[in-house]
Amino acid sequence: MSLLYDSYTIFWRELKRYKKSRSGVLIRLIQPAIWIIVIGNTFAGTQPLIQSVGFEGQYIEFMAPGVIILTAIFTSIFGGVNTLWDRRYGFMNKALTSPISRSSIALGKMSAISLIAALQASLILGIALAIGVTFPNPIMIAPIMAIVILFSLGFSGISVMVAATAKSQETFWGIINFLGMPLFMLSPALFPLELLPEWLASVAKLNPVTYTVLLVREMMTGVSEGGVPALLSIAVISVFVLIMVGLASYVFTREVNKPF
Amino acid sequence: MYSIETKSLSKSFGDLKAVNDISFTVQEGEIFGFLGPNGAGKSTTMMILTTLLKPTSGQALVSGYDVRANPKEVRQRIGYVQQETTVDEYLTGRENLILQARLNHIPKDEIDKNIDEVLDLIELSDKQNEAVVTYSGGMRKRLDIAGGLLHRPKVLFLDEPTVGLDIQTRRKIWEYIKKIHTEFDMTIFLTTHYMEEADQLCDRIGIIDSGKIQVIDSPENMKSAMGKEVISLVIENGEAQTKFIEELEKIQLVNKINHDNEKITIFASKGTEVIPKIFQISSDLKIKINTISLTSPTLDDVFISYTGHEIRDEGGFNRKKEHAKMKRLRA
Ligand SMILES: Nc1ncnc2c1ncn2[C@@H]1O[C@H](COP(=O)(O)OP(=O)(O)OP(=O)(O)O)[C@@H](O)[C@H]1O
Ligand SMILES: [Mg+2]
Repeated sequence: MSLLYDSYTIFWRELKRYKKSRSGVLIRLIQPAIWIIVIGNTFAGTQPLIQSVGFEGQYIEFMAPGVIILTAIFTSIFGGVNTLWDRRYGFMNKALTSPISRSSIALGKMSAISLIAALQASLILGIALAIGVTFPNPIMIAPIMAIVILFSLGFSGISVMVAATAKSQETFWGIINFLGMPLFMLSPALFPLELLPEWLASVAKLNPVTYTVLLVREMMTGVSEGGVPALLSIAVISVFVLIMVGLASYVFTREVNKPF
Repeated sequence: MYSIETKSLSKSFGDLKAVNDISFTVQEGEIFGFLGPNGAGKSTTMMILTTLLKPTSGQALVSGYDVRANPKEVRQRIGYVQQETTVDEYLTGRENLILQARLNHIPKDEIDKNIDEVLDLIELSDKQNEAVVTYSGGMRKRLDIAGGLLHRPKVLFLDEPTVGLDIQTRRKIWEYIKKIHTEFDMTIFLTTHYMEEADQLCDRIGIIDSGKIQVIDSPENMKSAMGKEVISLVIENGEAQTKFIEELEKIQLVNKINHDNEKITIFASKGTEVIPKIFQISSDLKIKINTISLTSPTLDDVFISYTGHEIRDEGGFNRKKEHAKMKRLRA
């Protein structure tokens, strides 16, 4: 049978587990909800700053896409942690002694994580709408979610890779926290790139999060900033995702073949 | 063709030789067991045979395929039930089996039929739609075993299938294993450190200790090789002990003697004739016998005679480990 069928088997299992651990869903929403409500209002006074880069709306409308991406980043980059549990509690060995391929395990996990991340992100989008963020074109929700899923796939790749390599939770969380926060902060998620010092801005230009934020913000507000065309953003995200998925399958396969 | 064949199989972890030059074969349709204490190398051997660990040296064939060269072929032909229970707690019993069925590529139209059949066999049909969190340790183990045989593997590996379970549950699981074996006609390779389990289930047993196989034979042969009867003595500790043993060894009908301080085990062909002679010697040497008993040999005796220690030698340590296993089973 095919890689697709086998990946779906793992995907199905991960989603079942997610559905049945509902408490986690809400807990993971608290932080981004606080971001959007508290920080969105705290920095409401910075409107002149964002106006200076050509953004006419409320600050909260500027940062809402950023918080949606924040949710996607953290849900997906944390999402691989159960790989460690699977190795510790035998599910992994069960899968490894079955005829399915190692990469289908990684792919199944990644696709489940990215879907879950998108679900969480869509809840944040709901909160944003509820607190008054407007949406010029509601039809855009579908492509926005598609972008969020795609982008999260890349980050789930990072997560699965780190989880397969780390032998302990401590290592996993250490590496993930080391990666996650800077990737988020070094992007225009909360403030326009133009406000960053030159050198930081050029570092941010290497960050796939930057392109995702710009793209999603353009889709939500209709304002294009920083002179990055949408097509370029889509291309950068796609390349990032392809590399991460490929790398994650490779690293995962290599690592799970070693004893835990 | 053998179902399992190993040639000088070894596995080292650093300096530790967990599996040390093991060679054995298992016939198709046989129930073969590894009997050994904690840390003997049972799980390690099983993990090599199920393609999870690469041997340091030597060769292992399962269903005719080399585990190192053709792991994919091997995986298509085996079922593996791990020592720790591995069922997904969030999922229901049935969902766990669906997962297992898909992992093992059971054709779509056979999945439901196979699951119903297996659930019936392990008597979990009425709990199948409840989450596994609500299952007892024994039920989880049964579900785990069901998952291992759902796809009718040619070779089923059971790593300590009843560890940490009470004796009733253990018996029940033995029954299932026997039923599985006759109904699906598969080769079963199991490990255990329960004598009774090995005795009850296995056609042949390999006694393994410190990574080495000490002996392989059927339980019956092992026991009869020991002599027909076992005389167990407990004597008062004293100077004359060594002399006493020497004298006992001179008795014609005695095959073998093991002693562990005040405990002496004598394997003999005609116990009833040996006992008076023992009393004779003890009164000559002025050794006080506290208790004496005459029994048929058990696997316990066999084990002691090959390894020089009881299987539960580690005492407190062992109990602690059992407890940890138990906790993990129920967690
Ligand atoms: N991954 C590992 N790294 C280092 N040592 C290991 C590893 N796995 C097993 N060992 C060691 O190898 C030896 C054999 O272990 P194994 O798990 O095969 O024993 P076992 O016979 O299954 O024991 P038990 O009855 O406790 O399950 C032990 O000394 C154990 O500590
Ligand atoms: Mg073991």
